[in-house]
Amino acid sequence: MNLKELYQEIILEHGKNPRNLGKTDNFNKDAKGNNPLCGDNVHVYLKLNDQRKVEDISFEGSGCAISMASASIMTDLIKGKSDNEAKEIIEDFLGMIKESPELKNKILKEDDKTKLMCLSGVKQYPMRVKCATLSWHTLVSAMENNGKQVSTED
Amino acid sequence: MNINAIKKEFPIFEEKIQNNDLVYLDSANSSQKPRVVIDRINEFYTKEFSNVGRSIHYLAVAATNLYESTRSSVQKYINAKDKNEIVFTKGATEALNLVANTLGQKYLKEGDEILLTELEHHSNYVPWHYLRKSKNIKINFAEINELGEIPIENIEKKITSKTKIIAINHLSNVTGAILPIKEISELAHSKGIIVVVDGCQGAPHLKIDVQDLDCDFYAISCHKMYGPTGLGILYGKKKWLEELPPYQGGGGMIKEVKKDRITYGDLPNKYEAGTMATAQVIAFDQSIKFLENIGIENIMRHEKELVEYGQEVLRKNNSVRLIGNPKNRGGVLSFTIEGVHPHDIATILDEDGVAIRAGHHCCQILHDKLEIPASARASVGVYNTKEDFDQLNDSINKCKKIFNLK
Repeated sequence: MNLKELYQEIILEHGKNPRNLGKTDNFNKDAKGNNPLCGDNVHVYLKLNDQRKVEDISFEGSGCAISMASASIMTDLIKGKSDNEAKEIIEDFLGMIKESPELKNKILKEDDKTKLMCLSGVKQYPMRVKCATLSWHTLVSAMENNGKQVSTED
Repeated sequence: MNINAIKKEFPIFEEKIQNNDLVYLDSANSSQKPRVVIDRINEFYTKEFSNVGRSIHYLAVAATNLYESTRSSVQKYINAKDKNEIVFTKGATEALNLVANTLGQKYLKEGDEILLTELEHHSNYVPWHYLRKSKNIKINFAEINELGEIPIENIEKKITSKTKIIAINHLSNVTGAILPIKEISELAHSKGIIVVVDGCQGAPHLKIDVQDLDCDFYAISCHKMYGPTGLGILYGKKKWLEELPPYQGGGGMIKEVKKDRITYGDLPNKYEAGTMATAQVIAFDQSIKFLENIGIENIMRHEKELVEYGQEVLRKNNSVRLIGNPKNRGGVLSFTIEGVHPHDIATILDEDGVAIRAGHHCCQILHDKLEIPASARASVGVYNTKEDFDQLNDSINKCKKIFNLK
């Protein structure tokens, strides 16, 4: 186990100063997620325009450094992508957290991938994986707009 | 009282946890088990196993005697008047569900009120919440004061002519406050109100005399009391246990079963349907002996010293904010660190072998009131030492370093 890998500078920085925090104006899709075991909550807001592009994305919530940083980095990277691109990035990220040693998508630039790989430290901490993935699952739910609340314990 | 010798009775402390000595500060969640308890489970399954209360062969009779002898030990330990006032359950949660369910069926009617406190664990709220829907019962909450206590005035304030039950914890698993149960019982009974006590944190750490406390029900969690998991105890005054209906139906709890009618068994069988946690009950006798050998007064003195020391150490740490400061308290210290989420604290502490709990500790009502999503909690058992709090503080400082705090 390695705490330095888990709490990299970029995680701490995003955790302390999360980007895209708050409720975006004119959102047309949103979803709530929660982790009943620890009380972490996240609410993802999304504006998907007529060309199916994520025009704006933000989140509200409270949680640990990992969950806040993950939501912050996620919203940064998803903004401006098409819904299909976003879905590919989400799938790739969740695959990486689960088992894959690297990110495979060709959408993100290398430095963005590096940023995202900073979250791979949670792989060594099974109890913390959910902290990193909650906002991503909530984003999926928002995009599908199925009105279903995401829970880490479903 | 020789803590090092006591600690040696717990095999877990011989283990290295991720190459560290274990600093176990999570006893409010569940206590570690002394060797006598672990060995007793093994021995029972190896040499003495049989189901209880049914067959008449040698092993069945011997196991039944052992099972019933734990009931007598519990009766003596909490000073219940009658052996049949002790009911085994699968946990304190089941004990509280049993009380809420059966009082709901037989005793409560639409519009009646139940008084809880803001300190209650979910297991002493959710079972009562069910009655909101099924019986249209109203639930009120006595408020905490600024020290994280529930003074009796705050209970009195919330009692109305419709209050039928007061359900309260004995010792808060978040602020550590000890509630004045005896005074609350006196007040409640003067108004004809039933008192149900969630004694999960009380029974392992305080001297329990149910006749002196005079509560109507007292729920105990055995795994927090140096005993096995899967076992709880419900103490109930005989008049209530006799009057209330059975909770679960099944084998062992009946007198006579016919196609058109069923009559139920006497106490305590009436409430012990199906095969019970036999090995756990038998091993729990050893937990009580373990506690009796040390002496609860000694344990209380030791834990008081520990929590005073823990407070002193954590107060000196400028980033730590302790939650609550009750005058009469048990060995639970909940805290937050400005700028570090409790889950991050717990992960970093864990790296040093320091086991604490982070989250809302099944007390969301309280955390909402305090306007914090979660907290970190260090809680003590008989095996803890002052050095454990020194290590806790060192590891908290490591947290602060990782998060660049001063």
